[in-house]
Parts: sequence; structure tokens; C-alpha cells
Amino acid sequence: MSFVWGLLYGTGAVILIAGGAVVGVWWERKVSARIQLRLGPQQLGPAGSLQMLADVPKLLFKEDVVPASADRLLFRYAPLAVFAPIAMSLAVIPFWAGWAPLDSAAGVLFFLAVPSISVLGILFSAWGSHNTLATLGGVRAAAQMVSYEVPRALAVLSVVVLGGSLQPSELMDAWRWWWIPVTLLGFGVYFIASIAEMNRGPFDLPEAESELVAGYFADYSGIRWAVFMMAEYGAMIASALFGAALFFGGFMWLPGVAGLAVHIGIAALIITAVMWVKWTFPRLRQDQLMTFCWTVLTPLALVQLVLAVVVALWL
Amino acid sequence: MILTVACAGAFALGVYAVLVRREIIGILAGAELMLGAAAVQLLVAGSGEFAAGASSFGLILLVVAAAEAVVGLALIVTAYRRAKRSRIEEFGEVSG
Amino acid sequence: MSAHDLAVASAAALVLAGAAGTALARSATRLVLSLGAFLLGVALCFLALGSPLLAAAQVFVYIGGVLVLVLFALMVVGRGDGESPRVESRHDPGAALVALGLFVVLAIVTPKRPSGIAPPEMVSPLAVADVLLGSGIVAFELAGVLLLAALLAVLVIVKSGGER
Repeated sequence: MSFVWGLLYGTGAVILIAGGAVVGVWWERKVSARIQLRLGPQQLGPAGSLQMLADVPKLLFKEDVVPASADRLLFRYAPLAVFAPIAMSLAVIPFWAGWAPLDSAAGVLFFLAVPSISVLGILFSAWGSHNTLATLGGVRAAAQMVSYEVPRALAVLSVVVLGGSLQPSELMDAWRWWWIPVTLLGFGVYFIASIAEMNRGPFDLPEAESELVAGYFADYSGIRWAVFMMAEYGAMIASALFGAALFFGGFMWLPGVAGLAVHIGIAALIITAVMWVKWTFPRLRQDQLMTFCWTVLTPLALVQLVLAVVVALWL
Repeated sequence: MILTVACAGAFALGVYAVLVRREIIGILAGAELMLGAAAVQLLVAGSGEFAAGASSFGLILLVVAAAEAVVGLALIVTAYRRAKRSRIEEFGEVSG
Repeated sequence: MSAHDLAVASAAALVLAGAAGTALARSATRLVLSLGAFLLGVALCFLALGSPLLAAAQVFVYIGGVLVLVLFALMVVGRGDGESPRVESRHDPGAALVALGLFVVLAIVTPKRPSGIAPPEMVSPLAVADVLLGSGIVAFELAGVLLLAALLAVLVIVKSGGER
């Protein structure tokens, strides 16, 4: 029985991410066009919303090229190792009062730990390409993702300290509105570190097209490239939904379906902010990236943790 | 039962890797096998009323093993950058 | 055969297959893949033995951290140009005999949980925290000191290596 549920859930997660990626790409085109004062998709359907209907078949039917010098096994299956952990991490996000698809006793840690498997997928795909630019991009991505995991985990930990549980449903039961001002700094750290985790601008050094062509997915085309893109949008959706629940209470504001709508609304606002950041700020340099993580973001996360501990003890 | 046998097998394979590998990273991977197998066996032995104690000891084992691996890898990379050596026979002397 | 038995069996199979690959693989890529399978198998064993906290920590620390570092070290040390570096070994019967003997002794001596009993209860993270911050506080603090020492040791090793 649990296998059937797992299968159903996995299918649901993939459909959710695929649909989210399609809507996300359309929304990103519109947001970036608005920010940079240019035209987004206009021609197909209302506000260009059918443009993706043309783009998806193009990606699906494009030839799936494997470079002659590449390690075939790694090159073919590494994109799945990037995507699958991110789809898995959706399982522990609480959507409903007292319920999450996988309400594990260590759920919050699960959300932080499982996507880190995708670092390995990125490194393998980069190394499997046997291509200098791809390998450089992969090493950059791995260094960045391993580093930014630290402030991200510390920021989430401050909410866990206030709630006194690692179980998503218990944590949300304990959630109170006054946590928002207390953990606002933590949300800032979580937001920035999450952008770095999904390798998006201004932290997109691993795929910096002006120096590395496209980084670790330089050699990919067609459906495998689309899997990388789906992993990126999936990470964005998962981070936004999780952040909306932990830092802004998500569904706790209203009962039932209305609460779910509020949750998705907050997450959509966070996703829009992620896109806004990408199209506004220029890309960082590699040394700036690491210095920023270890001398600014991590100390800020520690300050937030101390603040949360003081508040939790004072109550 | 099945877990114990699997762990014994993994431990023995780790010992074998340490004995026959020439590349130092291979030896370190063998040590990782032994530590992982020992951690699982610790939890098998500690299930039941000592479960919480076994879990916390497993957590500390995890920390110690991770520290060991990180120091080991730093040594390997530094030795390679200094002398371009990464095989065990090439390290005749420890000093210098 | 219940779902729990199946989970235990697949975790054990993953552990054994990963360990065999790690000990015997010839190419560095296969070695890292096998080590990853082994570490994932260990995490599944932790989960099957009722410790989700330990399983999540295993994935976080080993697969997300240590394995990435191993891959980095292999990329630095690897000798082949473009090709996946070889990891050589000198197989000999003596070593195989030692390993086999150890396996037999370990499989006989180590305590076992009788098969077929109900899956163990989940250990809650709170119970682990009670042990770590209660009777196990000394070990907990020592682990922290050890991590600090390891951090400093890595800094010293890497810095002194760069001077020459």
C-alpha cells in the first residue's frame, strides 16, 4: 500500500514541477521583460501564455546529442540524479494543518539534506562531459552549493528552535504570527542562500555564459537540458513553498482551501522576488561569492540563531 | 540478521580495499566502508530499549568519521600538490 | 514478506553492492558512484532501523559533503587527461584470505536482531537530544572540540602545503 502511495506521490511531484516550470518560464519572461523595459512574449494567446506550448515540443523532439568523448552512463543519467532529489524534497513541505505528504520526525532536516544529493548529480554530469568548461562549471557549482548549505541550514534552524520540533506538522502547529518579525533576518539569509543553492543569478557563476558557455550543462540538448531546467525551477518552487510555510506561516492564516491559496500566493510572491533579483543584480565574482557566504551570510545566520534561542528561552 | 551479514561483508570489503589499494584515495574509501558498516551494526545491536542511546552514539560516530575523512583528503591533496605523488609506495619517508 | 522486510533487504543489497564496487572498481568514476551507493544504503539501513534523524544526517554529511570532497580530491589527483583516472590495486590471495576470515568471524560473533520481528519504533529526535544533552554531554562536547581541531588541522595542512 505504501508503495502505491509513493508511486502516486512521485508522479504528482513530477507533474507539479513540470507544470510549475512551464508557468515559471512564462512568468520569468514577463517579469524580466518588465524589469528591463523590453517586450516579453506577445503573439501566442493572451499575454503570450501559449508560447510555452511551442517551446515544450521543441525541447521534447530536439535530438538528444551525447558527445563522442563523454562517459555515456554518467552523461545520460546524471540529470536524473539532479532532478529526483529535488522532487523528493517536496514531500516534506506541510500544505495543510497537521498534514504533510511525508510527515517524518526529521522532516525539516530531510528537506535540507536530500537536495544536497543533486550536487553530486551536477558534479557527475560535469565530469561525465569530459569538457573543460563543463568541469569548471561543475566544480564551481559544487563549491557554491556545499558552502551555502551552511547559512541556509542555520537560518531554518532558528525556526526549529522556536517551534521545538523537526516534524513539519508539529512545527506548523506551533507557528505563531509574531515569529515573522523574530525570524525576518533568518528569512533574508534563507532567501539569499536558496538563490545560491539553485545556481540562479546573481549567483549563477557555474553557468556564466560569458566565460563558461553554459557551465555544467554546456553539452546537453533537448530533453536532458530540459531536465536541468526543471530541476532549477523545481528547486525554486520547493524553496519558496517551504520558506512560505516556515517563515510566513503559509496555510496557517486561513482555514482549509483558502489557507492553501494563501500559502501558494506567498510562495508565488517569493518566486517573483527571486526573478526580480536575478534580472536586477549583476553576477558576482568567484572570490566575492565565497567571502560573502562565509563572512556575511553565516555570521548573520548565527546572530539570527542566537536571537531565536533568546526569544525561545524568554517565553 | 540480513543487515548484520551485509555489514560484516561491507566491513571485510573495506579491509580488503585498505590492503590492496595503491591509490591513497582508494584506501580512504575503504576506511569509510568500515566506519559505515560499524555504524549500522551499532544501531542493530542497540535497537530496543537502548535505541535513543545508539542513535546518539551513531551521530557522534558520524561526526568523528567525517572529520577523519576531511583531514585525510586535505593531506592527500596537499601531498599531491607538493610532490605530485598519490600512490602509497611513493611515500617512503614521513618527514619533510 | 512485508514492506519493511523488503526495505531492509534492498538496503542490505545496496550496502553490499556499493561496498563491492568501492573495493574492486578500477575507474575512479565507478569508485565514487559505488561509494555513493554504499553511503545511501547506510542511510536506508538507519531508516529501516528506526532512526530518521541519523538517516537525514548521513545523507547531509556524507553524500552532500564528504563524497563531494572525495570527488574534488580525485579531480585534483587524477592523472589521466580527460579520461577518468584509474584507481590501481594489487590484488593478492593473502589479503583476500584475511578479508574472508574477518567476514566469517564478524558474521558469527556480532549480535543480531532476530528476523521477522516487528519493525522497530521510530526514535524521535527529542529522545536523541535528551541523551546527547544529558548523560552524553561529555561525548557531545568532545565531538565539537574534535570538529574544531579538524577544521584547524585542515587549515594548517593546506596553508603549509601552499608555501613550498
